[in-house]
Amino acid sequence: MSLVWPTILVLIVAVTSVLVVSGGALFYLHRVRLERPAIGRFNRRDILLLFGFLVALPLLYVVVPQWLLTGFLIVTFIGSLSIGYRPVLRRTWLWWSIGLLLGSNIWLARTMLGTLAGWDLYWAENSLIVALGAIAVANLYAQGGMRLQHVCWFALFLAFYDAIFTLVWPITNELTERFLGYPLDPSMGMRFGIYNATIGLGDLLIYALFLTTAVKAYGRHVVRAVVAIIVVFGAAAPALAPLLFRQLIDARTDLIVPAQTLFGPVAFAYYRWARRRYGAERTTGQFVASLRGRPAALPDRALIATVG
Amino acid sequence: MLETGIRQMRMAMSMALGRRLSTANLARLVEDALATLDEFGEPGADSAALLDGPGADPAAQPELVADSLRRTATRLADRSPFYARRFVAAEINPRRIDTDALRRVPVTCKRDLIRRPAEFRCAGATPHLATRTTGTTGRPAEIWLSRYELELWAGLGALAAVLRDDLRRDDVLQISVSSRATASVHLNAATYRLVGAGCRVLGTVPPDEALDALAEDGATVLLTSPSYLGELVNAAGRRGLGPDDFRLRRIDVSGEVLSPSLAAAARRTFGVAEVKDNFGMTEVIPVTGRLCTAGHLHFDATMGYVEVLDLHTCEPAAPGELGTLAITPYYPYRECMPVYRYDTRDVVRALAPDHLGCEAATAPASGVVLGKADALLRLPSGTIVTPRDLVEAVESLPTCPWPARYAAEVVDGRLRVTLSESAVAGLGHAGTREHLASCGIEADVAVVDDAEAQYLRAVRSDLHETTFVSSPQRLGA
Repeated sequence: MSLVWPTILVLIVAVTSVLVVSGGALFYLHRVRLERPAIGRFNRRDILLLFGFLVALPLLYVVVPQWLLTGFLIVTFIGSLSIGYRPVLRRTWLWWSIGLLLGSNIWLARTMLGTLAGWDLYWAENSLIVALGAIAVANLYAQGGMRLQHVCWFALFLAFYDAIFTLVWPITNELTERFLGYPLDPSMGMRFGIYNATIGLGDLLIYALFLTTAVKAYGRHVVRAVVAIIVVFGAAAPALAPLLFRQLIDARTDLIVPAQTLFGPVAFAYYRWARRRYGAERTTGQFVASLRGRPAALPDRALIATVG
Repeated sequence: MLETGIRQMRMAMSMALGRRLSTANLARLVEDALATLDEFGEPGADSAALLDGPGADPAAQPELVADSLRRTATRLADRSPFYARRFVAAEINPRRIDTDALRRVPVTCKRDLIRRPAEFRCAGATPHLATRTTGTTGRPAEIWLSRYELELWAGLGALAAVLRDDLRRDDVLQISVSSRATASVHLNAATYRLVGAGCRVLGTVPPDEALDALAEDGATVLLTSPSYLGELVNAAGRRGLGPDDFRLRRIDVSGEVLSPSLAAAARRTFGVAEVKDNFGMTEVIPVTGRLCTAGHLHFDATMGYVEVLDLHTCEPAAPGELGTLAITPYYPYRECMPVYRYDTRDVVRALAPDHLGCEAATAPASGVVLGKADALLRLPSGTIVTPRDLVEAVESLPTCPWPARYAAEVVDGRLRVTLSESAVAGLGHAGTREHLASCGIEADVAVVDDAEAQYLRAVRSDLHETTFVSSPQRLGA
């Protein structure tokens, strides 16, 4: 089997997707402020919890019936889109838009996948939902206090996780197969002939988080380096890897690449370098203050009474 | 973030259901709040809702009040000998009590607490710390507090203070109230400990020593009474100390009337933007009041129920009328020696709740405290002169006689105000009469010498505590 054509397709889809999502997340970070709860910020324990979810959810996704899986995905996307775009759209517009996007996706998946044009329409619409979702969630985390340190440790964990669950215990392959052709596939993709080229929501989210938290931590001058790492190690290298490693082709001739295995160690190494080069990360408050052109300051507020 | 959400949920559920709060959970929430401020510089958008609890929603307040009154009364009927008897005598079923039935419960007075303190202690609660009232209305009442109460109030206070930026990690509090006010001292120390800030318990030592501590060791927050604050301002003036000698960012006072002239002088002297005049009272902790920018005194609807009762009938006072504050702290915020409908004798003007129009309009409010009911003076014309009227008038004299020492009485239908020689120095009788008239007080003036003037009116700063700093060296020491 010639791998050149599918590899090029994956390369195009992957690079385009990571640039759209990471760029969109960065744009959002600079333009939109998400509401935060009164108390709470992202910390290490949240990362461990996220990792726990990440390990448990795919196992659950593999065993639950398809209708329940679709239900989970609907709830997930409604949650991310409604939280992420509440500051941008009026409530009526927001809910109509979400309903239209998700409803169309279900309709397209059920009725339009008999033709190539139908697949392309489905993938275009699905990719829009996934990109919007990834941009929203990346900002929810980054604006919620997640730091570059957290993202890079998480990426390092994922490097092992991805390798194990792709090469040793191919849960990822099974999941990819389960999602394909059903509503709300958590991937961005496109179909060219018989090939579906996709990149998963989890990967996109990590890249968007890497860029947003890096800019939050050290400012815009890190954009070039970070985008280069994302494009080279997050999109290009995983897309080209099957040319060198035939083990990535499974029995159904699907190409499943553990992208985080390539990206995680590089991202972590970059974080260690950046920390030595630029020092401690800025807090979210300092970042927001820098956007407003002033240093972070505490508000002057009222007092609680004390008893004499 | 997820952990914090679960902690907030636990606290909110306890508050909504009226169950004991986990004080350990509260302490961890304080740490979360500090971490939030470190990261974002300010709390999130709904911090007001978190601070005010279920009482933040005006639409939910009637139901919250009824539930809380019933819950508190039911517990008292079961566990407090005093209130078990009182509810039976008033033929009130505590499980059906509401704001209307509440009016049939006689108010509790300070003399009840003084005469039968043991009957107020609830069965099952373990007394931990006794605190005594330190006001100027005679014999003190002793209140026992449980360890849960102290930890709870410190936790709630720390959380609110951190979220309102009233308390920062690098703050140092100087407590210059009577050391016998153990509840206040303990609570403030515990609150500052939870935040990791500094706390210096100094008591009402000679003002020069308090000033030395403020100036040399750099306290950022001062907690005191208005009368002691007056002494500090005078002492600072004598020594030529000014804003550059201090690093205070706030002064909190409570327990007495704070006059605008003293507040302005304190701001000038210590270089603070504001002197916060709060309402707090040992007997009704943890219910406290805060002044809004419109000058209303707002109470936390989650902690307790506040009524303004007519001075004669004990029925709710009409808007605009004078009344005395009666306060019922709710369970689970008070458990060891609670009071129900406690008549504070603090006189305020009742306000129409629908016409507050201030930033804290959703919280119940009254006018500012005007003084104790027993100190009101009624003139034949029907005019009532309050202690606040007199303190503000006297303390605005050009001689800056802080704290105000005066005696006031109605003699032959006219008000007569007795002042010290130093207070009226340079004005004479006529000038002083004119000054009082310009403050809305038509009065005759009598003058006594300064030594005698010390006994005209008791103030909290009279509870001076001695130290060995200024005492003469002893032979053989």
